[in-house]
Amino acid sequence: MKEPLVAIEDAAIGYGRTALLSGISVAVLPGDFLAMVGPNGGGKTTLLRTLLGAQPLVRGRLVRPRALRVGYVPQREHVDSIWPFTVGEVVLMGRVPMLGVLRSAREADREVVRRALARVGMEDLGDRWYGELSGGQRQRTLIARALAAEPELLALDEPTNGMDPGAELATMDLLRDLQAGSPLAVVMVSHRIEAVANYARTFAFLDKDAALFRVGDVAEMLRPDALAALYRRPVEVREENGRRYVHAAGGEGRR
Amino acid sequence: MSDALQAFVDAREIWEVPLAASVVAGALLGALGVYVVLRRTVFVSAALTQLSTLGLVGTLLVEERFHIETEHASEQLAVAIAVSAVGALLLGAFRPRRLPAEATVGATWVVASALVVLGVSRLVHAAHDLQGLVFGNAVAVPASDLAVIAVVAALATAVHAAFGKELAFTSFDPETAQALGMRVRLWDVVLFLTIGVAIPPAARALGALPVFAFLTLPAAGALMLRVGFRPAFALAASFGVLAASAGYVLSWLWEIPTGATMVALAAALAVPGAMWRLARG
Repeated sequence: MKEPLVAIEDAAIGYGRTALLSGISVAVLPGDFLAMVGPNGGGKTTLLRTLLGAQPLVRGRLVRPRALRVGYVPQREHVDSIWPFTVGEVVLMGRVPMLGVLRSAREADREVVRRALARVGMEDLGDRWYGELSGGQRQRTLIARALAAEPELLALDEPTNGMDPGAELATMDLLRDLQAGSPLAVVMVSHRIEAVANYARTFAFLDKDAALFRVGDVAEMLRPDALAALYRRPVEVREENGRRYVHAAGGEGRR
Repeated sequence: MSDALQAFVDAREIWEVPLAASVVAGALLGALGVYVVLRRTVFVSAALTQLSTLGLVGTLLVEERFHIETEHASEQLAVAIAVSAVGALLLGAFRPRRLPAEATVGATWVVASALVVLGVSRLVHAAHDLQGLVFGNAVAVPASDLAVIAVVAALATAVHAAFGKELAFTSFDPETAQALGMRVRLWDVVLFLTIGVAIPPAARALGALPVFAFLTLPAAGALMLRVGFRPAFALAASFGVLAASAGYVLSWLWEIPTGATMVALAAALAVPGAMWRLARG
């Protein structure tokens, strides 16, 4: 049994003394892909931030056996594009926490930035203004910044939000490729299970309004009963050509 | 050389300290304004300026009511800096979760403004100072004020040079910085303190209105030219110096209000950037 990189045990998450959701236990193992799925406002981002230690627990225990290198990708709408930074400057920020105060970036740091940009296919865009990129390119820039931290755990908050299906698929394929042959653990928040159904190995379903928290592997979670508990209506999962398709059952469609 | 210009040069002993104070304040505020504009906290600078003015009014009230001699400029300035610094600490550290940050800033500004008006209404002898407090009195800046502005400018420059990458990252993307373990609130306090401490001595020299203008217009003008993050500081500081120095000289030559002239020039310097952005669509 691998030692978890980080875990939350028998916890309540929330703000101050107010618990949004209780009875949470979840662990992230090296190489895992954990998808936190639930409706908007269901507590996913709060759980992610709590797992990273950026948000204190209301109750319970955060377990982090050793110092952990984390890369974080926020929702790209949360990053203000009026700042006059180049792509390279944004990615270099991923190195800031490990540089420490009073130390500036060195050539080795810039080499890490170049490699991170190359891994997301943006090696030629380092001098472009971040604010002038397309939505997909901004997302790749933010992923490259997270990679510049040389993370063991890559945390992403709704990275495919607002993307068209093609861009969403490209982003998810990129995450899969980043994990290939590597112990990198990925924790991704998404309100769309369709986005992660073919990529995650572990799922956490949560909805604070339904007091729901359930965690398990693909076989356990991508079942109609588990999905129905999350979406509060029948949900079907079908497989075609090796891909899973999740959709709500019934509905009358267009009249 | 025209008579007016000759008279200006001959009066050097009168204007050299105020002009130097205006130039240093223009450079300092112009550079700090890059953060003010990019963080969309223009109103924070207005609130801190008003708090600084409240500190000055408070010292005048104490002097009149309790017959305590605080009319010495450096004591007034010390109180104004203290009030502004406390305000900066609170605005930097206090982020109510259930209210937008603008609510705290707006409340600070409006309460401080009201208290300034109430305070001035209770002043007997010093009410005439209000004009100078708001619009500046750049023809009468003591050398001690210039020294304070220079020290504050040196300190602010040192802080931003030493912690530039932390201030930039936590300002640009506080969510990620916090997720990566950085103390975002601490860096916010550091940033706001540099702004909060810079405002009172600048406001004494230039007045509240020009300070507010210098914290927004030069930076806006520089940022619209898309020169990049670091160069924007140098360009905004240059715009600040140009507007302060040319505004001072022109107001002397044309015998028009100094602070308002500086503000008009700062606005004029933002026009090329605005035109360039318009042309680019």
